[in-house]
Amino acid sequence: MSEKFSATLRLTDLNDFIAPSQDCIVSLKKFKPKSEKPENQEKFNVFSKTTSPTEAVKISLKDCLACSGCITSAETVMLEKQSLDEFLSQLDSDKAVIVSLSPQSRASLAAYFDLSPAQVFRKLTAMFKSIGVKAVYDTSCSRDLTLVEVCNEFISRYRQRQLNSGKVRGQELPMISSACPGWICYAEKTLGSYILPYISSVKSPQQAIGAAIKHHLSQKIGVLPDKVYHVTVMPCYDKKLEAARDDFVFSTGGEGENDHDASGMKIAEVDSVLTSGEVLDLIHSKSIDFKALAEAPLDKMLTNVDEDGNLYGVSGGSGGYAETVFQHAAKTLFGKEIEGPLNFKTVRNSDFREVTLEVEGTEVLKFALCYGFRNLQNIVRKIKIGKCDYHFLEVMACPSGCLNGGGQIKPKTGQSAKDLIQRLEDVYMQDVSIANPLKNPIVKSLYDEWLEEPGSEKAKRYIHTEYHPMVKSIASELINW
Amino acid sequence: MELAEGKLELRERQRLEGHMDRVWSLAWNPVTGVGGVPAMLASCSGDKTVRIWQQGPSGSFDCTAVLEDTHTRTVRSCAWSPSGKLLATASFDATTAIWEQIGSDFECVAMLEGHENEVKSVSWNASGSLIATCGRDKSVWIWEMQSDNEFECVSVLQGHTQDVKMVQWHPFIDVLVSVSYDNSIKVWAEDGGDDWHCAQSLGEASSGHSSTVWALSFNEHGDRMVTCSDDLTLKIWDTSENPSQASGDGYGPWRHVCTLSGYHDRTIFSVNWSSEGLIASGAGDDAIRLFAENKDNPLREVDGPSYSMVLKKKAAHVMDVNSVQWNPKDPRVLASASDDGLVKIWELTGLSQ
Repeated sequence: MSEKFSATLRLTDLNDFIAPSQDCIVSLKKFKPKSEKPENQEKFNVFSKTTSPTEAVKISLKDCLACSGCITSAETVMLEKQSLDEFLSQLDSDKAVIVSLSPQSRASLAAYFDLSPAQVFRKLTAMFKSIGVKAVYDTSCSRDLTLVEVCNEFISRYRQRQLNSGKVRGQELPMISSACPGWICYAEKTLGSYILPYISSVKSPQQAIGAAIKHHLSQKIGVLPDKVYHVTVMPCYDKKLEAARDDFVFSTGGEGENDHDASGMKIAEVDSVLTSGEVLDLIHSKSIDFKALAEAPLDKMLTNVDEDGNLYGVSGGSGGYAETVFQHAAKTLFGKEIEGPLNFKTVRNSDFREVTLEVEGTEVLKFALCYGFRNLQNIVRKIKIGKCDYHFLEVMACPSGCLNGGGQIKPKTGQSAKDLIQRLEDVYMQDVSIANPLKNPIVKSLYDEWLEEPGSEKAKRYIHTEYHPMVKSIASELINW
Repeated sequence: MELAEGKLELRERQRLEGHMDRVWSLAWNPVTGVGGVPAMLASCSGDKTVRIWQQGPSGSFDCTAVLEDTHTRTVRSCAWSPSGKLLATASFDATTAIWEQIGSDFECVAMLEGHENEVKSVSWNASGSLIATCGRDKSVWIWEMQSDNEFECVSVLQGHTQDVKMVQWHPFIDVLVSVSYDNSIKVWAEDGGDDWHCAQSLGEASSGHSSTVWALSFNEHGDRMVTCSDDLTLKIWDTSENPSQASGDGYGPWRHVCTLSGYHDRTIFSVNWSSEGLIASGAGDDAIRLFAENKDNPLREVDGPSYSMVLKKKAAHVMDVNSVQWNPKDPRVLASASDDGLVKIWELTGLSQ
């Protein structure tokens, strides 16, 4: 498996060329097992690492997502539909290519080129448009939309629990953020049904902007959704797996837009995902002097940019979920105005921090940031045994969160990983002003023109999703003894 | 210790029958066999159980407890806490169970869940505050004991590229060593922040093994370790600074001292260093071998330390020997476990005092 996936996903893999031949639902006869010592049962699991396939076997991302074995075994899986080459070939097609840029990728390139996030955004806009991209948008805009939905969902769960002592399905606390695809994949494949009801049903910013573009914007600008090729730029390889989920594919034709069985063209909210590192590869492959590139004005329709051209958004390199929901809940539920940035206290390590609100001596809100696999493990076990007293958890699979995603540009020679993270955290909000998502005018107009109001039927249909526990295959259990 | 040439003998004292499948691993309870407390040994097996064997007044061992109905697959490894009160058992069912002795009974008081699949080995650190586990998912986990038998994961270490066969803490300091199907030996230490990191990796390029490394053992002083491999060799490693002398996180790198080749012709699955300096190996040819350092070698100053075989017990079992463990309190007593389903207690004779 590619080292580029988050550590959480890598852990669930079994063994490079080994896992598929045991657990994979796709026949991989070309991987030839070679037993080192057949009389030892333990060695049944292990094939010689010198055995390599002579010919790449193709597995689609969907095959991988449907399987309880590995996540995927070879990078060739990715390269099929999620590559720079595929992206470039779409530029020559009859489709309108739209790029949505994540703020973490912006920061990664800004740190690499020693520019500001806004400069990077404008230069990337210029570069993408010069090769035929029609529009470049900003996932901090769709993130604000998801934050509004997450706030709404949290208030509803919190109040429901007070009424029903938490026994209503879909109303469980702690509510766990859902933006990290590594975490979602791990929860579905390894943890299973007990954890899924705790996870927020709100889509990630990537899928929310995909829904906004394919369901709403395309209508607004008069382009059929199947004539739009939508690419996101993300700090994370796992986002490629997220984009390929069946839940995020819909069929055209008539009313049943979300009906997967309907015949008609299958359309993905996000057609392809490029990582920050792959965008850097693109810049290098085109021999572009990025620092010298002229800046182009930003596309305002789905971008957090004000009239003066200044960027705005929530702070927090992993999306600011805990902070935004905490402030909103404190105000809505307890009438407390809390100024940001919140003072998160380190609990066990810098990747596990919490913030609490006390009202009349009682702890009424207890939120935590929980990043990296080890912290995720502990919190999951606490939930399982009913000893988790948090109300909200912002969970990210990567240590240090999304700024440290597996798709980010690697440290330069002589730069430590720690230094790079610090640099990214500094640059992330460098010329971006902090703004309340609930006051975002673009989000407001998305509700006015399309979704009606937070938590509405339409919002549930387009901005929420479902999770599916994966059952371990019996074959994988048998063969491993 | 003087080796009386030719007189050395490994006598089978007792065979412990009871396991219904191959026996994978053994652990002597470190606080027993001394001061009137009868010696206690744990064995774990493909039959999904752990058996506790206790020495009776006659000197023979009896099975006093069977730990069953907890693990749903093979129990691959077991380890006593330094206090001897807790037993950790690692299983192919992806869990590690913690058992507490209550009277003569054992109660499962905690389950460490997190490994994706088979857990292959478990080890307690010197103070008993940390547990390490490793397994087929290529990861090494470090767990910290909280109050009330609760355990928190403090690190998930992903340096190995294949199945990790064994983890073992250093006898005095919080340094962990892991060995793997990827042929490497890795040394883990705290990174100065709040996590752990790989402080050293000993691969083939560092005079390391050329095939799966199955096991390791430290000597009594903690300044040497021995590793055994599918490449049919034992390797001795030395740390230039004595880590037991170093303060806190002090740690000297390990370097290759010598390779013991030509003695084994099948995979070596287990190796264990006695407090008297004898190294025992258990291998796929059913034999147990003993090795000792050549202390009176005149070329020692020039060539460095060397070790040679002092005893080979052919047909110690009728199948693979999976584990050999010296009794820490009585270094003339060795226990072995085999695919033949037996645990055997051996007595070493012919050593002068």
